[in-house]
Amino acid sequence: MSRANGGIEVEGKVIECLRSAMFTVELENGHKVLAHISGKVRKNFIKIYLEDRVLVELSPYDLTRGRIVFRYRN
Amino acid sequence: MDTLHSASHPVDRAVEITRVAEHIWHALEDDQVVGRGDAVSRSGGRLFISVDAWHDTVFDRVVSAMLRDLPRPLHVVVDEADGEAAVRWGRAGFVIGRRETGYLVPTDPHVTGLGSVRPPSDVTIVPAGGADEQLLRAVDRVIREEVEATVGWHTMPTEVIPLPPGVTVVDPAKFAVAAQGSEYVAMLRLAGRVQQPRIGLLAVRAGRRRRGIGRALLAHSLGVLHDQGTESAWAEVDQTNAAAVALFEGVGAERAGGTLELVRR
Repeated sequence: MSRANGGIEVEGKVIECLRSAMFTVELENGHKVLAHISGKVRKNFIKIYLEDRVLVELSPYDLTRGRIVFRYRN
Repeated sequence: MDTLHSASHPVDRAVEITRVAEHIWHALEDDQVVGRGDAVSRSGGRLFISVDAWHDTVFDRVVSAMLRDLPRPLHVVVDEADGEAAVRWGRAGFVIGRRETGYLVPTDPHVTGLGSVRPPSDVTIVPAGGADEQLLRAVDRVIREEVEATVGWHTMPTEVIPLPPGVTVVDPAKFAVAAQGSEYVAMLRLAGRVQQPRIGLLAVRAGRRRRGIGRALLAHSLGVLHDQGTESAWAEVDQTNAAAVALFEGVGAERAGGTLELVRR
């Protein structure tokens, strides 16, 4: 876990691809969050697939929500 | 450095929008970054922006600051399925400029109907890894020049980048090509992962089109994937490119998402 630019960033794995461009990500601590792809990732045409390892920035207002800010190379 | 202030944030605190670098904006609330804007210049001089914020009011303020600070037109990429994002950008005056559909392309020749497809008799297919690098660079350069001279870079996907004269970046391992005589006339780039390869480019030189060369190149590449045990490949097609849409849908490719390029002029 790390703090970057005021947000909490946690690594996790995509376990479900949902409609509306949303994903369920299982974090390292076992918690599951609903995450969308950040605009910056989207802008770079990076595709997110099932079982991808990703870095999620958690919402400071709702820790069950987040956005995917980085996809690791598997 | 520019700043804006807002008192209309949902948690009722002041939000300050700050341009922290030439292409980066931050929305600050109590010294915490609660929103970010980012701009990057892409192919054909297109300027793409993105904004990430947890609340619509912050999002709107970051967009406003970027609209004020940056030259237009500005471009944004959103997922076609992400209706909320399209609405947010629509509030700022962004409209659809391009629509790109993602396709899952089957590889099984019994499904694609490409099993018996062969190139014209004077054309041979060179599999990925077998292309001559010099000839590959030459056809890459010619196709890029054709794009510039005809449809223009603004019609191309953002990841297809124009390069300075004399500069080509091609990896022979990723390209299958069609050879005619002593030159290459078409190229197909296959990249991505083993379980989901991506057809990143399928291009035929302008004077050699409508002869089935692109179809033969696709048949070859999908056949190789099928023999390797891969069931499908991914491809994105501009919806105004009728020939490409017909080619992929004709081999049984299924629409599986899409991307919108929004523009604010």
